[in-house]
Amino acid sequence: MAAASKKVLYGLYNDEEDLKSAVKSARKSHLDIMDVLTPFPVHGLDPILGLSESRLHILGFIYGAIGATFGFGFMSWALARDWPTMFGGKPYWPVPSFIPITFEMTVLFAAWGMTITFYTICGMWPGAQATILDNRITDDKFCIAFDVTNSEEKDVSGLQAFFSKTGAAEVNLKTI
Amino acid sequence: MNLNTQFVFDSKLKRNLMIGMALGAACLVWSAIGDDEYRTRFWTNYLHNAVFFTGIAFTATFFLSAQITAFGGWMTAVKRIWEAMGQFMIVGLVLLLLIVAGVWGHLHHLYHWNVAGITDPENPLYDKIIAGKSGFLSPVFFTIGTLGFLAIWYFWAYKMRQNSMQQDDHETAALAYYKKERKWAATFLPLGGFLSTVFFWQLIMSIDPHWYSTMFAWYSTISVLLAGLALMIMLILYLQSKGYLEYVTRDHLHDLGKYLFGISVFWTYLWFDQFMLIWYANIGEETIYFKERMDHYPVLFWGNLVLNFITPFLVLMRNDTKRKAGTLFFACLIVFFGHWWDFFYMIKPGARIAAHESMEISEGKHNNQHDAAPIGAAPATATGGHESHDQATHAVAAATADHSGGDHGHADHHDDALSGFKLGYTIPGIQELGVLVGFLSLFLFFFFRQLERASLLPMRDPFLEESLHHSTGAYIDGEGDGHEH
Repeated sequence: MAAASKKVLYGLYNDEEDLKSAVKSARKSHLDIMDVLTPFPVHGLDPILGLSESRLHILGFIYGAIGATFGFGFMSWALARDWPTMFGGKPYWPVPSFIPITFEMTVLFAAWGMTITFYTICGMWPGAQATILDNRITDDKFCIAFDVTNSEEKDVSGLQAFFSKTGAAEVNLKTI
Repeated sequence: MNLNTQFVFDSKLKRNLMIGMALGAACLVWSAIGDDEYRTRFWTNYLHNAVFFTGIAFTATFFLSAQITAFGGWMTAVKRIWEAMGQFMIVGLVLLLLIVAGVWGHLHHLYHWNVAGITDPENPLYDKIIAGKSGFLSPVFFTIGTLGFLAIWYFWAYKMRQNSMQQDDHETAALAYYKKERKWAATFLPLGGFLSTVFFWQLIMSIDPHWYSTMFAWYSTISVLLAGLALMIMLILYLQSKGYLEYVTRDHLHDLGKYLFGISVFWTYLWFDQFMLIWYANIGEETIYFKERMDHYPVLFWGNLVLNFITPFLVLMRNDTKRKAGTLFFACLIVFFGHWWDFFYMIKPGARIAAHESMEISEGKHNNQHDAAPIGAAPATATGGHESHDQATHAVAAATADHSGGDHGHADHHDDALSGFKLGYTIPGIQELGVLVGFLSLFLFFFFRQLERASLLPMRDPFLEESLHHSTGAYIDGEGDGHEH
């Protein structure tokens, strides 16, 4: 990894309720949380963290619209214009029979488009190295991480105090 | 907790609903006196609304049973509403009694299969196709398939309601009642699923007795399910505006809105399947159903899709519209009216043809080519044909794909008499809307009476806590207040 390494101070909690109240108090005292990592989606965590709504679904709509236009347009062009073909006594442009395929193309484009976009945003392209703070955050630990690369000693000890106050099971410093 | 869980059916609301019922009754009478001797407008309005609201009661019980069977804990806070809605089936039983009595006493001409002598080979009116279906399309089975099945459903709905209310009184045995409720719910699912097909075939699909569609039962059941769901959401919002159900959060409404959105798309899928398969196969006896409706009832046909697919799809697609009372109520209003419109579309064109055929029979000029036309062969004999039709035109009519429909061998004549605009058939008129208000008032009156009989919150339900803390996990910008659990 050529990129500049980061120093990360993270605390591990045993319970998601502990985590939620810790996040609340961190936000109250204006601590700058780098990330929160949980083994499963914790309901109600997003509003506590103050995250805004994801815009991925807007892209999903656009991808879907492109897929619908492409599927419908291509079938119309191929069957009604480029090489007019009549099937089963239906018109050259049998719109109802295009609908299932148009629907499938919508789903295909939306699904692939959103997946590729999401992976790209998260830096999960093929061959990318994942940086994992602690293996147990995919098992039973709930983690709050702070970026302390440029922090002074005083701030770091303040964060240590925050962790012990909010009931973290353990606190570690790691360079990633 | 100090919650307002006892609904009070106040006298002002009672009075308003009474006025609504009186209005509905007046419109029903109005639609009867301004009509021809068969009073088909009155009978179709009656059948339409009776089936629609009975269907809503049935699907409320069905949906509740599905939730209970699937361990759906989220809906416990609102399940008393479903329970109370389901009890309307007893009123539906009484309402449909009139339709069944009409079949036995030949009071109405809604069902062409009920014409005297139509299954008798010696009779000039003999109809081979209807005779072949006479085991099913007969007064006896009609009575079993409507009233009998409805009575079975009502028994289940009643038992589930009773069990749920008894649970409130017992502090210790709540779990035993829950287990019993699961048994009633799980057994209701096959009963509701299988019997509802026959219920809607008998009452609605048999208006077009030559036509059949294997999608029809699904299609009509889902239609009333959506109407019931929309009505239920509107009732929750209404009760909240009156200060009840304060524990029903945006998350409950969000999930109900998702159901409304998803099942609307499912309805469209069924609508499209029924249409596309018939359109693509192009079998005359099936296609005639849609040809009739697309040619002569275009407002009904396309309006159906606008109301029931395009509007809910576009309005409810964003997740914040499902979480705001205003947009959700608007979408529910459209969907509720849209499925009422859908039933109107299923019933009126077919009933108009059935009444027209009865009129022709009574005037002695019914041209009976039903057995010849569907298989595309030229008719061998033209029994009792009217003057404008000779055998040659019939052969042409039968050979043309457009007009070879099983319902009507007499295409030209039929077009003349039935193609024109007719209020109450081509689109709903004032009487139809009045009757809707009347039946809705009756439904709500009965519903509120049921609702005040028990606490709005099932206090001893084991899933209550889960329901009160229900969260969809969705978070919308600017909605922060009161969201933290």
